[in-house]
Amino acid sequence: MKMGKLELTRRKFLTVSGATASAIALSGAFSAVKAVESNNQESMQHGKNSKFIPSACGMCVNKCGLIAHVENGKIRKLNPNPKFFKSRAMLCARGNAGAEEPYNPDRLKKPLLRQGKRGEGKWKEISWEEAFKLAAEKLAELKQKYQNRSSVAFISTEGFQEEFFKMLSTSYGSTNTVRHPTLCMASVIQGWSSVFGTYPDADLTEADFVLMLGANRAESFMTPDTIDFQKSMPKKQTLVYVDPRFTSTAAKADKWYAIKPGTDLAFVLAIINVIISENLYDENFVNKYTHGFEDLVKHVKQYTPEWAEKECEIPADEIIWVAREFAKYAPRSVVYPGRRTSWYVNDVYFRRACAILAAITGSWDTPGGIVPKSSIPLAKHDSALYPLYDMVEPRIDVSRKSSFKHLIPNDERAKHGLPYDKCAYLNEIDGSWVVFRDSVLKSDPYPVKGMFVYKQNPVEAVPNREKTLEMMQQMEFICTIDIQMSDTAWYSDLVLPESTYLERWDPCHSLSGIWPIVVARQPVIEPIFNTKSMKEITAGIVNEMLKIPSLWDDCWESDVEAFKETVVEPILNQPTEKFIEHQLSPYPGAHEMMLKEGVFYLDDKAKYGQTKKEGFRYKTKTGKIEIYNVRYADDGLDPLPVYASPSQPKPNEFRVILGRHAWNTHSGTQNNEYLHELEPENAVWINEKRALELGIMDGDYVYIKSSVGEQKIKAKVTKKIRPDCIFYTHGFGRLSKGLSLVYKVGASQAAILEDYVDSVSGNAAMHETFVEIRKA
Amino acid sequence: MAKKKYAIVLDASKCLNCKACTVACKLENHVPVGHETYRIWVTENEIHGNFPNLTQTFQPSQCQHCENTPCASVCPTKATYKTEEGVVLVDYDKCVLCKACMTACPYDARFVNEHVAAVEKCTMCYHRLPDREPACVETCPTKVRVFGDLNDPESEVSKLLAKNPYYRLKPSVNTRPRLFYIY
Repeated sequence: MKMGKLELTRRKFLTVSGATASAIALSGAFSAVKAVESNNQESMQHGKNSKFIPSACGMCVNKCGLIAHVENGKIRKLNPNPKFFKSRAMLCARGNAGAEEPYNPDRLKKPLLRQGKRGEGKWKEISWEEAFKLAAEKLAELKQKYQNRSSVAFISTEGFQEEFFKMLSTSYGSTNTVRHPTLCMASVIQGWSSVFGTYPDADLTEADFVLMLGANRAESFMTPDTIDFQKSMPKKQTLVYVDPRFTSTAAKADKWYAIKPGTDLAFVLAIINVIISENLYDENFVNKYTHGFEDLVKHVKQYTPEWAEKECEIPADEIIWVAREFAKYAPRSVVYPGRRTSWYVNDVYFRRACAILAAITGSWDTPGGIVPKSSIPLAKHDSALYPLYDMVEPRIDVSRKSSFKHLIPNDERAKHGLPYDKCAYLNEIDGSWVVFRDSVLKSDPYPVKGMFVYKQNPVEAVPNREKTLEMMQQMEFICTIDIQMSDTAWYSDLVLPESTYLERWDPCHSLSGIWPIVVARQPVIEPIFNTKSMKEITAGIVNEMLKIPSLWDDCWESDVEAFKETVVEPILNQPTEKFIEHQLSPYPGAHEMMLKEGVFYLDDKAKYGQTKKEGFRYKTKTGKIEIYNVRYADDGLDPLPVYASPSQPKPNEFRVILGRHAWNTHSGTQNNEYLHELEPENAVWINEKRALELGIMDGDYVYIKSSVGEQKIKAKVTKKIRPDCIFYTHGFGRLSKGLSLVYKVGASQAAILEDYVDSVSGNAAMHETFVEIRKA
Repeated sequence: MAKKKYAIVLDASKCLNCKACTVACKLENHVPVGHETYRIWVTENEIHGNFPNLTQTFQPSQCQHCENTPCASVCPTKATYKTEEGVVLVDYDKCVLCKACMTACPYDARFVNEHVAAVEKCTMCYHRLPDREPACVETCPTKVRVFGDLNDPESEVSKLLAKNPYYRLKPSVNTRPRLFYIY
């Protein structure tokens, strides 16, 4: 079957067959439990020189269990691990395509040292010994020059080996660690935690009514939610989906509301208004567990459905219907928290409103509601002692003397509960990417001149690409560790090749959730090239650092000895297998289970009601579920979510909205041949009416221009998006020639996105950019 | 033991169009990558309605493993044949690339694989049977497909077909596919 032109033929025969795929009841054929029972390792052991090795996927954040089918030392296929019940025993397109990662011709194969100018692409292959020595020397040089260990930033994203990268930054002693959450989920964590003291999950297996606002679960895979909502829906569940775009989730939903971008808070406040004014809330729950309900009653009076209709462009009677249905099915009603919430500058308040809706309907810690995560605690290396250094400054983004007003759009929202001189609740480990970069560019309050980057690709991940490149240009040394020549690696001085997730031991990760489970990795094949794990890289650099006396002159000598005895020798200089064994040591038999089955769990039953036990204290100031947040009030923020209208694009403009889909992760997988084949080039979704006005036909190339950049891209003219916004996928239009399939193919998001910040959480606000479009 | 009669029952309403089956099949069966040739695919059916009242469905498809097999009938070298379980296969050594089967197939399920110099298509992962399920069945997140033996009344496929109304693609051409789509 050839895709593309022949699609018409297929459509034709389907029409002839008269097939309509309507959802009619089908009792659950596959339960998680059944999937667990169905494993039969023995029967799989057929075929010559075939081995089946359990490990965990590394293609996205879900870390699904897999079983690698290896033939003659080569990966033949990656299959789902039936015992990994968190994914309901599946492996998605990316998980399958992972089999190609070790063999990708564009892979980094040896350490590379830059020869020409940054970004010119001239490299010299060097040995690992030279690489470790150089990295350690550069760290020493920067410390001596700036007398401040925080002058080197350590930038990373999540992954099993990130733990060891953090050991490198802690060994060096910089406070400037910058991680991915402020390009992703910082605001949803802050928003929900401000009410419940934690960022919870949604129990989609038992929910009868689900409200998803922009969380495109059918395409943006989160386990087990993506599987559960779809599995439960044909049975009974009602799904209401709110998004300016008709996504695959919209296609699956019972109702889709094409909300006006940036107005979701108005929609939720009006739902709360109806539930309170019609006395549909859970009085017992509210009285027993919450704080500040009376304030909410007064506060939401102004937010009527009729008022919200004008803001959201969703009819008032529909809002009333959603509110009544939500309350009717509560507590088996879910307002879905979401994942990547780097949307708007006041995103935290929207997330708070969602959490408040869950609280007043009592949809909390109960089957079919919002449920706090459980986890299986692993043994830590509690005895690890790092030196205390003198030459350390506080984080560069913790407060900003120079105004960061320019990071918040000048509209009504700036007057409502958004600090404009600092981020209110900056995470000390994660920082805030947008604020960090501006601070570095201004050396405010001190210079940051070195960068170590692990697995993250800020050039394509952080909005306003030019600014990131400018920041990198002023660095004196950049070292990037990755499996491929990311755009960030391309502009680095030293590039260290990591082994792929299929070639290395990785420590255990305890995946928290309603169904907690632990995974780890064992190599399914030997490393193909001269690559190392992050752990080996950290060990290599730290061992070289120990040979340079000037690196240890601002701490006690006894500290250094303790560091060697508790970190370097027992952790860094030991194999990862030992690390895994230690992590699982509290559980007899767990280590054996991990090696044999690739997973460890205590049981596969969901846990409910832990936070409803007598004497439980929520992690909030009052110890209760805070509808009214006391700390926010103390800190000069809005203690209850106040709605303020966002700016709107001018008639000739569009708002850029972002979204994920099922066959690529961030900017990391587009150069995989199997995934590239599914989407060789990205295209911008333009509403058919607007396209007609602009004379743009489907397939035409267009220019998209914002205040920070311009990109050329193919147009997808469609009725699946509102007229006031555009959308295209992430990870194209790349700058690195080392990503041969996507180098200069399609359009980059980072190149056109303006950099705004949600100054409560520090999250980037990536749906605030307006663009003009013209035919190329 | 009674002869097996293999079939796949699909519930297209569960399909997320996530392409897991498409990629799994490519890797399991060494289908060449980069040529946009697929043994298994998902079609985004036409969008119905006007903004914002839209509906859209997805149609997963592949070789229908017909009982009445037009591809085998036209094959001059008998390269295409049926196993006793009803799985339609191609013997690459016998294929002379005349492409008659590609024309005859009402489901557009066949293509030329230049690596093996033959026409190929879905085999229900015959090499995995009977111990392991076809790769698409195994990997699918929402378990759109169920594989099994129609001669076993206790099999999941038999039970699903007994319980649910179903259709087969293009009934007018009288191919009697072994792929059943339940409503």
